[in-house]
Amino acid sequence: MTLLECKGLTKKYGNFTALSDCSLQIERGHIIGLLGPNGSGKTTLIKLICGLLNPSSGTVQIMGESVGPSSKKLISYLPDHTYLNKSMRVRDIMDFFDDFYEDFDSMRAYDMLAKLQINPNHKLKALSKGNQEKVQLILVMSRRASLYVLDEPIAGVDPAARDYILNIILENYDENATILISTHLISDIENILDEVIFIQNGKLHTHGSVDDLRQKEHRSIDAIFREVFKC
Amino acid sequence: MLKKLLKHEWISVSKVLGPVNLGVILITIIGSIILSTDLLDGNNMFPMIVVLLSLYIISLMTFASVTLIYVYVRFYKNLFTAEGYLMYTLPVTGTQLFHSKLLVGFFWSGVNTILTMLSTIILAFTATLHTTSKEDMQYIFSSVNDSAKDFRFEDILGYQPVVFLIIIVLVMLTSCLSSILMGYLSILLGQLVEKNRLAASIGFYMVIYMINQILSSIVMIFPNTKFILEGNSVSFLGDLSRLLFPGLLITQLFFSIVFYVVSLILVRRQVNLE
Repeated sequence: MTLLECKGLTKKYGNFTALSDCSLQIERGHIIGLLGPNGSGKTTLIKLICGLLNPSSGTVQIMGESVGPSSKKLISYLPDHTYLNKSMRVRDIMDFFDDFYEDFDSMRAYDMLAKLQINPNHKLKALSKGNQEKVQLILVMSRRASLYVLDEPIAGVDPAARDYILNIILENYDENATILISTHLISDIENILDEVIFIQNGKLHTHGSVDDLRQKEHRSIDAIFREVFKC
Repeated sequence: MLKKLLKHEWISVSKVLGPVNLGVILITIIGSIILSTDLLDGNNMFPMIVVLLSLYIISLMTFASVTLIYVYVRFYKNLFTAEGYLMYTLPVTGTQLFHSKLLVGFFWSGVNTILTMLSTIILAFTATLHTTSKEDMQYIFSSVNDSAKDFRFEDILGYQPVVFLIIIVLVMLTSCLSSILMGYLSILLGQLVEKNRLAASIGFYMVIYMINQILSSIVMIFPNTKFILEGNSVSFLGDLSRLLFPGLLITQLFFSIVFYVVSLILVRRQVNLE
């Protein structure tokens, strides 16, 4: 069964069209880069998939389920900003995830926290910004979800932290799941991607296998991206 | 899932509103201690009494305002700002999210209302006990007993004491409920606007508040006009009370139902987080 299917997905804000007639299918077992410059519609597409926006037209289905509590069980979502209550202790946030997500592996989460020497009794606001982001990533990747939707997970972090984040993603990757990573830092993640989706001005530009694109264009994905989105 | 939402909502809200309501208990205890001693007995203590009484009233009003505003802020912040990205990606319905906020918010708001009422009763009672001599107290009780032969409690306040107390508590609780729902509805209506949603929510709140006040005033006009035109007898006070309190109760209950139904329609729609 197709993991994610979008049909004619459009999102308008007044006269501005953030996403236009986007149709795509995503299968299980892939790491997919959702690539495009700032303001191209990546976050809008992600928010529509996760049920944080109401489409102006079109449909989204996750394993045949329309967006709702059932589809949300299948998606593990990392937004491009902190969405946790910073006055909560890390342990309380772990309990929160454990309560609401049947597929949350708290042992794995605590193990990752221990490796980072993050004290679960600390409040989130007592941690550095980098560690706050890592806690959030640990929470999201400690779920055994079918679809991981990661919005700009490596934006605004130093190269060492980027490597750590990508390692976490790869170490926790389950072959039956799919990871959709939105970013404009292509060179950092190119090597882990199976597929790419290019979005330009709210429209789907390209959706294909990384190997096929490289063979066809005789260039890296980063080089293709720079060509497609040249200013 | 509603149980789990209630559990986490309870933990988060109690951390803030628990201490706020402990504050009400604390000032009641301090007030009772001060009033049961001779600290304020001197002739030159009048300015101090005024200051302490003002502080007490301001504190109660502050605790009540903080409780209601926090209930609104919690609803807005937890559902429609960055935290909303977590709450709306949980495998729960919008209705469950709404009910968890409403039940916990109503509980704490209700607790604050009842504590405030008890606080004023306790302080008034303590002050009366302390300032009234045994002889005066006996005189008051005998006067009340004498009056009771001529007038029953029902004639003065419209109901038997226990029923009167229950009705007052019910009126206050329904007012709490309608106030919370009015705030929630304003926030939900604000989310229908493309930009400046917080400002729009405040605007909607002011409009709904005015409509509420106008309609409540119209409902209250009838018993009040009757009172002005006819009323000066003791039994009429009872008649007025029998009209006024059920009127208030029904009006607030009506608004609560309207606010609740419209809010429910709005929370069932898919969100559009900024």
